[in-house]
Amino acid sequence: MADLRRSRPAAKQLGRRRDLSAPAGALVRLLLDRFADLAPTVWTDEDTVEVRIDGERNVALLEVLRDDPELHFFMLADAAAVDYGPSEHFEVVYHLYSDLHPAWLRVRARVDRADPHLPTITGLWEGASFHEREMYDMMGIVFDGSRDLRRIYMSPDYRSFPQRKDFLLPDDAADSPAAGVDPLERPETWDLSRFVEAATSSEGES
Amino acid sequence: MTSDLRIPDPVRPEHTEEARLRAAAGMAPAPSTGGEYAGFESVGLPDRPPQTEREREVYTLGEGEMLVNMGPQHPSTHGVMRLVVKVRGEVVVDIDPVLGYLHRGIEKLCENATYTTVMTYVDPMDYLSAMHNEHAPAIAFEKLYGIKAPKRAEYIRALVVELNRVFSHGLMMGFQALDMGGLTPILYGFINRDEVVDLLSAISGQRMLFNFFRVGGVNFDANDEFFSRLGTWRAGVLKTIEMNERIMTDNEIFRGRTIGMGVLSGPEAIALGVTGPSLRASGVPFDVRKAHPYSIYPELEFDVITQTGGDVYARYLQRVAELKQSIHLIDQIVDKMPHGPVQAQVPGIIRPKPGRAYAAVESPRGLYSVYAISDGGPNPYRFRMRDPSFVSLQAMPKLMPGRLIADTMAVMASFDPVMGGVDK
Amino acid sequence: MDLDLLLGVGRFLLATTLLLLLTVPTAFVVIQMELKVIAQMQLRYGPNRIGPWGMFQSTIHGFKFLAKEDHMPDLADRTTFTLAPWMVYMAAAMSMLVIPWAPGAIAADFNIGIVYFFAIIGLSVVGMLIAGWASYNKYSLLGGLRSAAQMVSYEIPLTLSVVGVVVLGGSLNFREVIEWQLDHGWMLLWQPVGWGIFYIASLAEINRTPFDMVEADSELVAGPFTEYSGMRFGFFFFAEYVALFIMSGIMVALFFGGWLAPWPFPAQFDGFGGTLYGLFWFFLKSYLFVFVAVWLRATLPRVRVDQLMGMAWKVLLPLAMLNLMVTAGVVVWLKL
Repeated sequence: MADLRRSRPAAKQLGRRRDLSAPAGALVRLLLDRFADLAPTVWTDEDTVEVRIDGERNVALLEVLRDDPELHFFMLADAAAVDYGPSEHFEVVYHLYSDLHPAWLRVRARVDRADPHLPTITGLWEGASFHEREMYDMMGIVFDGSRDLRRIYMSPDYRSFPQRKDFLLPDDAADSPAAGVDPLERPETWDLSRFVEAATSSEGES
Repeated sequence: MTSDLRIPDPVRPEHTEEARLRAAAGMAPAPSTGGEYAGFESVGLPDRPPQTEREREVYTLGEGEMLVNMGPQHPSTHGVMRLVVKVRGEVVVDIDPVLGYLHRGIEKLCENATYTTVMTYVDPMDYLSAMHNEHAPAIAFEKLYGIKAPKRAEYIRALVVELNRVFSHGLMMGFQALDMGGLTPILYGFINRDEVVDLLSAISGQRMLFNFFRVGGVNFDANDEFFSRLGTWRAGVLKTIEMNERIMTDNEIFRGRTIGMGVLSGPEAIALGVTGPSLRASGVPFDVRKAHPYSIYPELEFDVITQTGGDVYARYLQRVAELKQSIHLIDQIVDKMPHGPVQAQVPGIIRPKPGRAYAAVESPRGLYSVYAISDGGPNPYRFRMRDPSFVSLQAMPKLMPGRLIADTMAVMASFDPVMGGVDK
Repeated sequence: MDLDLLLGVGRFLLATTLLLLLTVPTAFVVIQMELKVIAQMQLRYGPNRIGPWGMFQSTIHGFKFLAKEDHMPDLADRTTFTLAPWMVYMAAAMSMLVIPWAPGAIAADFNIGIVYFFAIIGLSVVGMLIAGWASYNKYSLLGGLRSAAQMVSYEIPLTLSVVGVVVLGGSLNFREVIEWQLDHGWMLLWQPVGWGIFYIASLAEINRTPFDMVEADSELVAGPFTEYSGMRFGFFFFAEYVALFIMSGIMVALFFGGWLAPWPFPAQFDGFGGTLYGLFWFFLKSYLFVFVAVWLRATLPRVRVDQLMGMAWKVLLPLAMLNLMVTAGVVVWLKL
C-alpha cells in the first residue's frame, strides 16, 4: 500500500485555488509515458482526465496507477457501470484520486454486452466489493475472481437487471425485454419444496 | 401467497405441528437441511445453496456458532438494514450486511426526470445531508451545461451546506450515545437540528428534503431577516453542543466502551473506500473540500482536522471537531457574502450538450459524488451517485470479529451510516 | 379456636394484603417519576395530558397491561412461563416485609431481617432465569443467562458491604441498626466505602442503567421478557420499579439513618406523631435516591456486559472484602 506519510497533506493548500490546466497536462504526459497506446483515448476537461480501455486491462492499468510513485492514485473514488443501449456495449467507469495530481482520473473500461465479464479490482481496493456487487445487481456485469458477487439491492431470487436500458418502467420485471437474462444465482435451481406443502403453481406468483 | 404455504418453526422443525401431522398421516418428515444449507433455517432465508465464497464463509456454522438477525426492524436509528451476525455466545465471529430494504431505484428514476427535477429525487437519498445530495448534482450539471453559478449563489450554497453539516454531526453524537444506552444526547442533538432546520426552512421552504439547489444557482435568496436569525442561532449553538459534550466526551462509561474499539488504520480505511470523518479519524488528511476544491472553499480558511487512533472515540471526536469547524466556516461565509443574483439565466428545461461530468463534494459521511452523462436531451442519460455510507459499511465485517454483540451498534454508529444513502 | 390465633392470622393477612397493595402505588409513583424527571432532563415535557401534570399516566399504563392480550408461545413451558413473573414480583413484594418504615411501623421485625432481605431479593434471579428458559426463544435465553450472571455476581459485593454495617451496628435487625445510628450518627460516616459499594451493586442488582444490559433495547430485543405480554409483563415491569424503591429504602435504612431526621432536626419522636415524622423522613430520603437513580438513567450510557462483570469481580469484590477486614479490625482494636 502506498506510503501515505509521503503525501502532501491537503491542509497546506490553504485558500489557494489550484490551477488545474497545467498539472493536468503533466498527468497526461505521465500517463502516456507508461501507456503510449492510450494516446487516442485521452480526453481532458478543466478538472478531469479520462482514458478509455478494453475491459480486460482494468486491473493491470489500475495497479500501475495506484502503485506508481509519480502517479499515486491511491483512492478509488467511484466505480460505476453505464449501459449504452440494447445494441451497444457496457462501460465500467472508475474514478481515481491522487494527491499528486489535481485532476480526477476517469478510466472507462469497455465491456461486451453479450457476455459481460471483467476482472475484479477487489484485489487492489477491497472496498470495490460493494460497487461490483451493485454493478452486477443492476446491470448484470460479472466480475471474475470476485469473492462475493451476489445481489446487493434486489432480493436474491430476482430475475432481471433493473438499470439496463431495455428494462422498462413501470412494469413487472418478467415482462420487460431484459427479463430472462440469466443471473448467476439461477433461482430456478433452488429447492423451496420444504416451504410449500403443494409445490406446484405457487412459484410463479409473487 | 397460496393458502397452503406454511413456514415451519425455524428453531426445531421436527417438533412442530407440521411434523406431528405428517407423522399422523404416515408421510415422511419434511426434508431437513444440512451440509451447505446449514444455518439457513435459523435466519429464515429460503433454502438455497450459498452462492459465493464469502457467503459460504459467513453462513457455514462451526462449533457453538449461531446466526442472529439484527434488523431489518432495527432498534437502532440508522434505518432499515439487516445484519446477519454469526456469534459464538456473545462474541461476534462474522457479519454480513444485507441491504436493499430501502432501495427506491433513484438512479433509474432520474433517467426519466429533467435536470431540475433530479434535485427532488436526490434529496431523500441521504436524508440527513440533503443539501450535500443536491450540491453534487448541481455541480455536475453545471459542468455539463457549461455554466457557473453566480458568486452569491455559491456562497449561499456553502452556507446551507455547512449548516447541514452542523446538524448532521450533532445528530451523530446523539446516535452514538443512543446505541450505547444513553438516552439524552439524541434529544439535545434534535434540539440543535430543530434550530438549524428552522433556518433552512426559512431559506428553502422545506424542513428536511430541501429542493433548494438549481442548475445555475439556488432557488431563493437569503434576506436580512434570515441573517439576523442566523446570528441569533449562532450565538446559542455552541451551548447545545456543549451540553452534549459534557455528557459524552469525558464520560468514563462512554470512553470505556469506545476507546480502542473498532480501530481502523489509515491504509485499511483507504482500501475499504471509507472517506469523510471516519477516514480523517484514522489519520488520513483527505477532505474533498481541500483535496479537490469546489464551490468557494478555496476562499475560506480552514485546516483539515485529523485524529490519531482510528477508534470509535476518535471518530466521535472528529465529528465534534468538524462541527465546530463548520460553525467557524459559517462565520467566514457570512462575513464574505457578496451581493448579486442567486441564479444564472437558464431555460426551464435544460438540454446540455452531450458529455460526461463528475463532481464530488464532502458530505458529513464522506466523499459523495455524482457521475452524470448527458445525451443532449432533457433527461440525464446516466445519473450515478456514489454514496459514502454504502462504501463505509464494508468496514463492519472487518472490524467486528472478536468483539461482543453490544459493540456492533457502537461501531456502526461511529460510521454514521444513513440507509437512505446506502440503499439509494 | 383460640382468639389470639385468629387475631394473629387476621393481622398477618391484613399486613400482607396491605403490603401487596402498597407495592402497586409505589410502582406507579416511581414510574411516573421516571417519565417526568427524564423528560425534564431531556428538555421536554413528558406526559402532561392524563391528569394534572400527567399524574395518572402510569396508572393508565397499569390498566393498559391489564387490557392486553395474554399471549404465550406455543412451545413455551406453561408452568414455568406463568411462574416466572410471580417469582420476580413476589421477591420484590416479600422483601417489603422487613423495610423499616417508621418507629413502630415495621411489618415484620425479624431478628435476622437483613439476612432475610438479601435472601429474598435473590429469588428474582431465579425468576429471570426461568423466564428466559421457558420462553423457548434463544434471544430470551441469552438475556436470561446474562441477567442471572449479572445479578448473582453483584449480590456478593452487595451483601459483603452490608456485613460491615452489621459488624458495627451489632445486629442483623434493621430496627436495631437504625437505633445504633441514632446514638452514633449515620452509618454513612462510618462506612463510606461500604456505601459506595452498596450503591453501585444495588443498581446492578435491580438492572438499572448504567447496568441495564438485560433490557438493553438497542441490542437483541428485550432480553428475558421478550415473549411476555399483558399483565405477565406488567409484573416484571412493576417489580423492577418496586425493587428500585425497596433498594433505595434499604440503603437509607442501613446507611442514612432510616427514619431518623438529619442534624438540625430532632432525630425521632415517640408515639403516633413520631411515626408520621419518621415516615416522612424515610420517604423523603428514599425518593431522593430513587431520583438519583432516575437521573443516572437519563445521563449515562450502558456499561458493556464484560466490563460490568469485570467490575463486579475485580473491583467491587476485593474492595468489599478489604472494607470488611478493616472494619472488623478497627472494631476489635477499639473494642467498639
